Amino acid sequence: MSLGALTASIAHEINQPLAGIITNASTCLRMLAADPPNVRGALETARRTIRDGNRAADVITRLRALFSKKAAVTETVDLNEAAREVLALGFSDLLRNRVFLRTEIDHDHPVLVTGDRVQLQQVILNLVRNASDAMSGVNDRPRHLLVRAERDDEGGARLIVTDSGVGLDPQAIERLFDAFYTTKKDGMGIGLSVSRSIIESHGGKLWAEANHGPGTTFTFSLPPLADSATGCRTGDAAETSKISDRREAMRSS
Amino acid sequence: MMEARLLVSVVDDDESVRESLPDLLQEFGFAVETFASAEEFLASGRVADTRCLVLDIAMPGMSGPDLQRELEQRRHKVPIVFITAHADKSDFPRLMEQGAAACLLKPFSDTALREALDAALDGSAPDEG
Repeated sequence: MSLGALTASIAHEINQPLAGIITNASTCLRMLAADPPNVRGALETARRTIRDGNRAADVITRLRALFSKKAAVTETVDLNEAAREVLALGFSDLLRNRVFLRTEIDHDHPVLVTGDRVQLQQVILNLVRNASDAMSGVNDRPRHLLVRAERDDEGGARLIVTDSGVGLDPQAIERLFDAFYTTKKDGMGIGLSVSRSIIESHGGKLWAEANHGPGTTFTFSLPPLADSATGCRTGDAAETSKISDRREAMRSS
Repeated sequence: MMEARLLVSVVDDDESVRESLPDLLQEFGFAVETFASAEEFLASGRVADTRCLVLDIAMPGMSGPDLQRELEQRRHKVPIVFITAHADKSDFPRLMEQGAAACLLKPFSDTALREALDAALDGSAPDEG
């Protein structure tokens, strides 16, 4: 990670709300200076100025959280259910991006793991979004996304996300999980590094492989229920993945 | 005189921009429409009415320069003011060569925006009011 790239990513995230702040404050002054003053409009722009200021502060908070460690909530999580919720949230975005979603999720057979539900869902959301982004430039073939949750041979669980996107060369796959490495023009390069730290804090592994055909497959594996009950730490790290994801925010769309 | 106002379309995936720019542009005397993506703008039916486009460079899906090329291919001439939060001007000369009226780094001042719009509309911009 170069310092220049890091600075550019942070600058981008801060410049967005700063643009809002400056535009809103300029508008506010103009509305107050008008004759008669447009007080109602000025109040609204002042409120938006404060909100954008808070957005800039949030970026800083999340950046700081990336480097902090806190205890996470540990509970029994059904990966099927967790994935289903994430996909329901993101479905309209996938649809808009003309992504054909296929799930292999068996609702009658929960795939139980121990961990922090919100953190694990952050990871799934991140993988699904990356897959969707990787296919946004694909126009000569269908944009297929496959999400599968399953038990593995050792009694643990796996979640697999396969896309038919642009794919990655071997060097890129090596660097994917480095903090602040990104292949996206607008990404902060935080999502996958945080995702990996979340999965590792759950005693699991997260990796990427090139498909035989076009695209990439991301898999995370988690240990069997009893083994993963301890050492679930990272806390707010999951929050930081929202920094790079916020712009595409599925929740708000 | 609402119908006489020139339409400026703002295309930006950032919500702060979509919320804040319309009020300022209305203060400048323009009519404003906002779109969260290039695709949404193209599908909106407001392309032909748009007299000036304030366009974010980096967006998920179709980027600002992609939209510029698409409009070019459709032979739709509309002046474009590019805006970007990337503190990097390296794209600017190329975008200007391809016909952009102005490029602004976010955050930009109201004066800078006003000047960019004046340049884009080449004298046909409204007086403030």
